[in-house]
Amino acid sequence: MELKEIKCPHCGHVNSPGTQLCQSCGLMINEDYDKKKIKDVMRYDGSAVRSKVKSQSIFDKIWIFFTSIRNGVIIIALIALAAAIGTILPQQYFIPIGVDPEVYYADNYGTFGYLYYKLGFHNLYSSWWFVLLNAMLALSIIAASVDRGVPLYKSLKNQRAKKHPSFFRRQRLTLNSDEITKENIDKIVEGLKSKRYKVTEDGPHLLFEKGRLSRWGPYINHTGLIIVLIGSMLRFFPGMYIDEIVYVPEGETVEIPTTDNKYYVKNEKFILDTYDKGSGSVFDKSLAMQGDLASNYQTNIIFYENLSSDVVGSEPDLKEIDKDEIRVNHPYKFDNYELYQSSFDNSSMKSMTFKLVDSNDKQIGEEFTVDLKDPDSDYSIDDKTDIQLRAFAPDFLEIGKKGELLSQSPVPRNPAFIFQVNNETLETPEISLLQIQNTDEITPNNEFKVKFVSMENEIATVLTLKKDLTMHMIGIGFIIFLLGVFIGSYINHRRIWINKEKGLSIAAHTNKNYYGLKKELNSVLNEHGVDSVNDKDEVEHNDRMKG
Amino acid sequence: MQHTFLQISNTSIFIAFILLLIALVPLALSIRSKHEERNAKIAVVIVVIAFILELVYFAFRWAATGHAPVSNLFEFIAMFSIMLIAGYLITYAYYKTKVFGLFAIPISLILLGYGSIFSTDVAPLIPALQSNWLFIHVTTVTLSYGILSMSAVAGFIYLLKIIPAEEKSIRARMLEFLMWNIVVVFAFIISISVMRGVGYQNDFLYVDQSGNNAIAEYHLPSLINYNGAQAVDHVGENNYEPADHFNLGISLPPIIKAHSLNTVVWSVILGTVLYGILRLIFRRRLYSVVKPLAKNADLSLMDDIGYRSVIIGYPLFALGGLFFAAIWAQEAWSRFWGWDPKETWAFITFMFYTIFLHLRLNRGYEGEKSAWLAVIGFLIILFNMIAINLIVAGLHSYA
Repeated sequence: MELKEIKCPHCGHVNSPGTQLCQSCGLMINEDYDKKKIKDVMRYDGSAVRSKVKSQSIFDKIWIFFTSIRNGVIIIALIALAAAIGTILPQQYFIPIGVDPEVYYADNYGTFGYLYYKLGFHNLYSSWWFVLLNAMLALSIIAASVDRGVPLYKSLKNQRAKKHPSFFRRQRLTLNSDEITKENIDKIVEGLKSKRYKVTEDGPHLLFEKGRLSRWGPYINHTGLIIVLIGSMLRFFPGMYIDEIVYVPEGETVEIPTTDNKYYVKNEKFILDTYDKGSGSVFDKSLAMQGDLASNYQTNIIFYENLSSDVVGSEPDLKEIDKDEIRVNHPYKFDNYELYQSSFDNSSMKSMTFKLVDSNDKQIGEEFTVDLKDPDSDYSIDDKTDIQLRAFAPDFLEIGKKGELLSQSPVPRNPAFIFQVNNETLETPEISLLQIQNTDEITPNNEFKVKFVSMENEIATVLTLKKDLTMHMIGIGFIIFLLGVFIGSYINHRRIWINKEKGLSIAAHTNKNYYGLKKELNSVLNEHGVDSVNDKDEVEHNDRMKG
Repeated sequence: MQHTFLQISNTSIFIAFILLLIALVPLALSIRSKHEERNAKIAVVIVVIAFILELVYFAFRWAATGHAPVSNLFEFIAMFSIMLIAGYLITYAYYKTKVFGLFAIPISLILLGYGSIFSTDVAPLIPALQSNWLFIHVTTVTLSYGILSMSAVAGFIYLLKIIPAEEKSIRARMLEFLMWNIVVVFAFIISISVMRGVGYQNDFLYVDQSGNNAIAEYHLPSLINYNGAQAVDHVGENNYEPADHFNLGISLPPIIKAHSLNTVVWSVILGTVLYGILRLIFRRRLYSVVKPLAKNADLSLMDDIGYRSVIIGYPLFALGGLFFAAIWAQEAWSRFWGWDPKETWAFITFMFYTIFLHLRLNRGYEGEKSAWLAVIGFLIILFNMIAINLIVAGLHSYA
C-alpha cells in the first residue's frame, strides 16, 4: 500500500494515510485496511493507526512489533510463566545464608536443582532476562498507547456532527423513520439533552456525546503502569534505596549506618512476650498443641542526634531526640528512614562467672565475672588472693607459636582464658588454660583451680533500616493505574448522531454497555411514541439461533 | 463470654452449611418444575438466611478472639466460601440467574468442607499478623476471588450449554476432564473427612530435610512414605513407641512432602474409581449429565456476566491483593514486594486476568474462548490458595 494521504470523495477532507473512516464525515474511504476485521472499526474511530499502515522501514517494523496487542499479551504471558517457574524451588534469598547455592541446590533437589541453579532460576526476579522482559513490556505499553492514543485523540477532538449515511448504517444501533413529526423530533432532542449529553449542532445534524473520559481509561492505566515500572527501576540509582541491618545489643548505643554519623540509636530493652498457656481463654486449645507462641517482639529505643557529626573525628555528642517502642508492624520513622523490628539474637555470650577452689574443692573468696567484650585483667577475690587474666580469646582457635591465644573472630562464641592465680601461700603463681568443658594446667600440680560457674548471654535486637524513595512513586503509579481501570471500565462513552434532514435518522455508538445505551435511548424514543432502535447484534444473534 | 461467642459462631456456620445444602433442592426444582418462580424464591430466601448466619459466624468469631477471623487456612478458606455466596447473591440481584446457584453453592460448600480439614480452632495472632491490614487485605482479596469465581461459574455454564453431549472434540474432552477434576476434589474432601471422623491416624517417624526427627500423620493408609520411615504410636507428650501400620512401601526423599503426596494419590485413585462408577451408572459423559441444568441459560447473558465479574473483580483484586498487600508487607516485613511464592502467585493471577481483558477487548475473545479463560482463572486462584500453602512454605505459610 502506498503511503498517500486520502481525500474523501464525499466531503473533500484530506485524511492521513491509513485512515479508514473519513475523519470528517465518517465515510469508509479505505477498504483495504484491516481485512481481517478487528472487532470494531469504531474503536479508534476509524483513524490512521500507525502500526496498521504497512511499511518497510526497520523502525516501523520494530514499532509494529511492540504496538501489537498480541505481542504484548505474549510478553505478559512470558513474565507470568517465568514468575511461576521461580516458585518451584525456593529463591536464593530463602536458602540458608552463607551456603554455596550451587551445592545447596544440587544436594537438596538433585539434578533438577542443579539445572535450576545453572539456568539462573535461583535468582530469577533479578536476572537480566526477567528485567529485560519487563522492559519489553514497558516498551510495548508505551508503543501501543502512542500508536492508538494519538490518532484517537485527534479524531475525538475534531468531531463533526454531520456524518455520511454509510456511517449511520455502520453503527450497531440505528433507527430510520419518516413518520415522525417535527415537533416530536424536537422533543426527542430535548429529552436526550436532559440526559446530560453534550450537544454539537450543524444545521440538521446533531451529535450527542457523553463520557468521553472513558476512552482515556486505558491510556491512564497504562501511564500508571509505566510509572510503576520506572519506579521499580529507580531502586538501582544510588541513594534511592537503603536496606541495612542494625544490630544493637541490649543497653548499647550504635550509630545508624548511612546517616553520616548523624543519628544513633540505643537499645534500652528488648522484649519478647509469649502467649500465656492455660489462661482459660478461647485460645487454650490451640496453644496447648504447640510450643511457645510469640505475642510481641519489641525494642525500646532512645533515638539520638549527634551534634558533632560534621566535625571530623570528634567524639559523638549525643542529644536525645525521641523515645519509642519498635514492634512488628510498628516501625520507627525518621527523615526518610524507617527502623523495623526484624529479629533478635541471644546466641552470643556476654559474660562468664568463675570461682576459685582449693584442692579440697572448697571455694576461696568471692566469685568473679569476666566481661567477654571488654575483660578486666585483674580480679581480686579476697585479701590474699587475686586472679590475673593473662590472655583471652573470644572465639578460640589454637595456641600460637609464642604461647598466645589465637581467635577466629572477635565474637565471643568459644571463649578461652589463661588465668594466673596469685596467693600468699604460693611460691610461684599457678597458671592454667580454661576453655568450655576443658581445663589444662600450664604450671604443674596446681593447688588451686578456677571453675566455671555460670554464663550470661547477651540479647541483641536486630533492626532493619530501610529507606525507599521509590515506594511513593510506585504507589502513585499504581493508584493512577487503578483510576484508569475504573474510568475505562465504569464510564461509558456514548455518542448519538441524529440527522433530521429527511424524517429522523439516528445512529448510536458506545464503547461498552450497549444494553445501557439502548435502554436510555429507547426510554426517550418510546416516551414520544417512537419505536425502539434496531440492534444489529441482536438481529444477528437471533438469526444465529434460528440457523 | 468469649466461649459463648465462639459457640454461637461455630453453630452458625454449621447451620449455614446445612441450609445451603437444603437450598439446592428448590433451586434444582426451579429449573424445570411448574412452580419455578416460587421455588426460586424459596431457594434464594434460604441462601440469604444462610449468608446472614455466615456473617454471624464472622462477627461472633471476631468478638470471641478480638481479631478478624481470617488468620489461618480454615478461616481464610471459609471467608472465600462466604464471599462466593456473596458473589452469587450479587449476581442474582442483578441478573436473576437461578441456574447460577446450582454451581456457585456447591463450590462454596466444597470449599468450606475442604477448609474444615485444617484446624478450626481459634489461635492468637503472631506479631506479624497484628495489624488492621489483616482484615482489609483479606476481605478485599476474598471478595475479589468471590466475584472472579462468578465469571468462572458463568463460563462453566456457557461451556456446558454450548458443547454438545456426544461431540468428539478436544473441547468436549477438556470439559469432561474438568468434571473428572471436580470428582477428584470431591473424593479428596469426603475421604479425608470420613477417615478423620472415624479417627483413623497412623503416625510415622522420619528424618526430615534438615536432619531432625519428625512425625508425619497419615489419615489415609500409607502408599507413599518417607525414606526410612518407621511406624509409631503416640503415647502422650513427646513420646512415641514402635507400632505396626500399613505401609505399601514406596518411599521418597524428605524433600517431597510424602504425606501430602499420599493424600493426593489417594484422591486421584478414589476420585477415578468414583468417576468410573458414575460413568457406569449414567452410561455417558458426566458433563452431559449436568448439561440439562444449563439448558435454559442465556448464552449472551452468561458471556456478559463472565466479563462483568472480571471487570469488577480485577481492579478489586489489584487493590486488595497487590496494593493493600504491598502497604502491609512494607509495614510488617519492611519490604512492599519480595517475590514470596504467595505474592508471586498473586502477581500471576493479576497477569492472567490482564491477559483475559486484553484478549477479550482487543482480540475478540468472547463467548467460548472467554469462558475457557474464566475457568482457567478460577483454577489459578484455587492453586494459589491451596497448593501454594500445602506445597511451598513461604512467609504466608499460616494462610
